[in-house]
Amino acid sequence: MKLAFVVQRYGLEINGGAELHCRWVAEHMQKHAEVEVLTTRAVDYITWKDSFNRDRDEVNGVRVRRFPVTRPRDPERFGRIQEKLLRHEQRERDELRWLDEEGPRAPGLIQYIKDSQAATDFFLFFSYRYYHSYWGVKTVPGQSILVPTAERDPVVGLGIFRDLFRTPRAIIYNSVEEQKMINDVSGNQDVPAEVVGVGTEIPGRYSGEAFRLKHGLAGPYILYLGRVDENKGCRRLFEYFIRFKRESGSPVKLVLAGNTVMQVPSHPDIHYLGFMGDEEKFGALDGAELLVMPSFYESLSMVTLEAWALAKPVLANALCDVLKGQCRRSNGGLYYENYAEFREALSLLLTSPRLRRALGENGRRYFEANYAWDVIEGKYLSLLNRLEKGRAA
Amino acid sequence: MEPEKIAIDYDRVDVARIMEQIKEKTAAEAGGESPDSGAGVVPIAAIDFAAGQGKARRILLKIMSPFSPLIKLVTLPVHEELRRTILILDHTNRRLDELEKERQRLDRLQEYTKLLHHLCHNLVIELSKLKIEEETLKTKTRIMEKDFELLGKRERTLEKEALK
Repeated sequence: MKLAFVVQRYGLEINGGAELHCRWVAEHMQKHAEVEVLTTRAVDYITWKDSFNRDRDEVNGVRVRRFPVTRPRDPERFGRIQEKLLRHEQRERDELRWLDEEGPRAPGLIQYIKDSQAATDFFLFFSYRYYHSYWGVKTVPGQSILVPTAERDPVVGLGIFRDLFRTPRAIIYNSVEEQKMINDVSGNQDVPAEVVGVGTEIPGRYSGEAFRLKHGLAGPYILYLGRVDENKGCRRLFEYFIRFKRESGSPVKLVLAGNTVMQVPSHPDIHYLGFMGDEEKFGALDGAELLVMPSFYESLSMVTLEAWALAKPVLANALCDVLKGQCRRSNGGLYYENYAEFREALSLLLTSPRLRRALGENGRRYFEANYAWDVIEGKYLSLLNRLEKGRAA
Repeated sequence: MEPEKIAIDYDRVDVARIMEQIKEKTAAEAGGESPDSGAGVVPIAAIDFAAGQGKARRILLKIMSPFSPLIKLVTLPVHEELRRTILILDHTNRRLDELEKERQRLDRLQEYTKLLHHLCHNLVIELSKLKIEEETLKTKTRIMEKDFELLGKRERTLEKEALK
């Protein structure tokens, strides 16, 4: 079976989101099928400017074909168009213009999909909201499998996407909440679907103790992993944490790891440590009391799964239905909607090592039952075989 | 903060149950902080009808017992409860009125829709009739054209005959 993975960016430099999700799945599916990745030459997701020079590449043994972006994105113009689009009712023509502006505009990639459809069994498109998925799925609807990685984002309701979600041969969702949201906005219940998600790669060596020593962290700490961004709920997390410290007098610290796009408040117990490699990141998780996830919009939250893989409990924002749903299904974490609930849940977790252990253990079991790589590969293969049989019939 | 008050079965941790308890606790706290959550109301147990000691207390209670409903009515804030009930009833009535208006509006809309449906139906019928009439008129025109043509030919023939 020949599979083509189509994604907006691809490479070892890109270590998050749908791109990493795609890379891991592609690398794991290589054991079962002939895999090729079709992508753009971009690295920067703001402008999609061409960064890779070579058309063909190989990343961790996976063949990669890169296509040039014919027009980089002008963030200012795109912002204006998006603002107008979301504030007023628009026609399909305007929505397609927005899609064009969003990019990454790579007509060569779409032409290649068209030319290679006879030689490829299925095309797996990652991230519904970009140019490659929309036009790619339209080009080969009968052979396309869409992995939307959709969050509760206003653009999900655009007319062009309602149509897109009804078009592919099958859809692979990250969570039942994502499936429900897309079913609700597009009425695509008839499209064959599977809730799969993604596994994680745990490095062989990591140590919480070494991490503590390296960064001079004594005493308990809670960890936030990911982009430090207002859109990820970090501002509210800072407010809640500072208030919690003031009211409770707890010695707990808040450790943040990841790139930052907002000002981190200057507080003796808030430690921003910047971007971390995998080994250090898992060390940070290992040393933490729990992982805190303040994000409002998540399609899956890979870091939550990583915390559970290490049997660490999670304290999540209940306003994100995916995180709340995962916590309830796994019994691996608590959640909060407001400060009072944040305070109670955090106090409970910090004062009860037994509860932390029990939640962490539940999380680990949930991770192994649903997100271990053999489970993920099995789900992909089962769907592909089903589609293959349907095609033959 | 008294997290130990939350009951947890550590062998079978149920996050939903824990969260319910946390929500109940925070809701109760929020209720307790509220200014009109009963701070000004004297709880029944706090009223000491049995002031005094021993025999005198018993006698006093006996004398007061026929009047106790009246005393309760006067001392307890029944009027406050009545006021709230009336407010709730008033609110409910207003809501019912709004819903009634909405129902009437929807009924009217339903009638309009029915009328529009009839209108569309009649328009289709009229258009069909017009189409048929148009076809009939076209046929008549063609016949008349042919008659006219024939008459022209006849006219020319007669003219030739007359000139001979």
